[in-house]
Amino acid sequence: MAEKKQIFKPVSEKEVTRAIVDGFARQFIEYVESDCLIIGGGPSGLMVGRDIALKGVKTLIVERNNYIGGGFWIGGYLMNKVTVREPGQEILEELGIPYEKAVEGLYVADGPHACSKLIAAACDAGVKFANMTMFDDVVLRQGNRVSGAVVNWTPVNALPREITCVDPIALESKFVVDSTGHDACVLKKLEERGLFKTAGYGAMWVEQSEDLVVEHTGEAHPGLIVTGMAVATAYGLPRMGPTFGAMLLSGRKGAQVILEKMKKK
Amino acid sequence: MSDLTERIPASFELYEEGDLGGLDLKGLGLYCEEKTSIPFSLLGNIYDGLPEEKIEAVARELAKIKVRDPGKEFDSGTPLQAERDYEERRIRGPRWRIIGILYEGIFYQKIIRDLLPESKLGSRNCTILFTNQLFGTWDQDDLRYHARVSLYGFPHLISTSGLVEAPAKPKEFYFKKQMGQSLELLKEEYRGRFIDHNDKRMTEVLKGYAMQALFYQFTGDPFCEDRDCRLFNSHWQEEVLHSQLDGRYEFCPRHEAILKEVKERSM
Repeated sequence: MAEKKQIFKPVSEKEVTRAIVDGFARQFIEYVESDCLIIGGGPSGLMVGRDIALKGVKTLIVERNNYIGGGFWIGGYLMNKVTVREPGQEILEELGIPYEKAVEGLYVADGPHACSKLIAAACDAGVKFANMTMFDDVVLRQGNRVSGAVVNWTPVNALPREITCVDPIALESKFVVDSTGHDACVLKKLEERGLFKTAGYGAMWVEQSEDLVVEHTGEAHPGLIVTGMAVATAYGLPRMGPTFGAMLLSGRKGAQVILEKMKKK
Repeated sequence: MSDLTERIPASFELYEEGDLGGLDLKGLGLYCEEKTSIPFSLLGNIYDGLPEEKIEAVARELAKIKVRDPGKEFDSGTPLQAERDYEERRIRGPRWRIIGILYEGIFYQKIIRDLLPESKLGSRNCTILFTNQLFGTWDQDDLRYHARVSLYGFPHLISTSGLVEAPAKPKEFYFKKQMGQSLELLKEEYRGRFIDHNDKRMTEVLKGYAMQALFYQFTGDPFCEDRDCRLFNSHWQEEVLHSQLDGRYEFCPRHEAILKEVKERSM
């Protein structure tokens, strides 16, 4: 009787471990210094990353969760359909995300499909990720310019201080992007040092506030670009419903700001 | 009655700010003129001809009067550069379309007043600014800010976005929105039951608000308790639509009588 052929090549555990450590370490060492460090891997952060990486900007996205994509997987009320208002569908089109017209000016896409395509587009453009990595603090240089971030493993943060003594490490970059949503984690760190005063997002719902988020996207502090809902927190803009067009367009605008500033340097 | 004579303006002037979504200001002015026999003029964009240094100063002032938390009394902070830049772009863009910031109404009125020559202010002059921006006033009863359609005084402010956002839509609309139904789909479902942005009925509805401004000048009171009268102070969209479009009459007998007298004295 013929012996059954193995499907997979035999590889020992130590080789698997070596491959993981080696792959991770090589990338990590390379990205200890980058052109742009994006804090928060939601739709606006991914969009910034994708657009600048396409232009050859060395980009690392730091994400505190294991999964990338933030809230882009689901829409309102945990339903996995995401909506964008015109002209947000142009970006869906560009990324090859299928969508349907819901009513005039409003388009709906499948959350998992949209999110995974956006992540893939960022990866394809050359963005690298440090997931399960928590932003801890900013790196400041001359003139209080934001020049990097201090990070740590996410699980460390979940443990009581008394039983953890894991010091964070620092990553340097020419630009940092705060795309951490309403938390605006990076801006809050500047605020702790008296370098910025966030206004907190307004409680009033105004249906057209998406435009305001895009309009206010930009460099909030030297070296720090703010995108997505962090913009609302920075400038006290009214909160919005679960439409993602502003996140994508804010990300795109953030990318344009970075590219222009890099050109000038 | 001599009081009324003193309060009738010689003319009224209409300014605009931002993209008013097809609002027919000329038609609105003609309507008010026909009702009162008071001539009007259209003076265009309120920021037209502002010198450069004044633009920066006004932008700074506007950036200071954002209501950041409608649940708290107004506290003017130091605006950030991006906020000042935004206001500057808005002033320079005569058809500025972006809305969403809630401004402190009383301070907004003061900023606009400071742009007008002294001669245009006072009981014999009536200046109305139609804006697409949103403003609100603090309500001492429930201790929070409320968006407003209009703010009467010197000058009067009337907001097209306020007309959409301030009067409440049907209650079920908000319940469904809270349940996550998309705004656009909800709008389809409730179409016609509220005034929306770029609504064709906007001009007709705001004629009534312009008349409220004029009545403020005539009598000191812009409102009427009769929900069939165009001077009714509507809090619900349903009331807006009724008093401005479907009322039994345009003005109640009492206000019709005042208008008659105004017309006679203006001619």
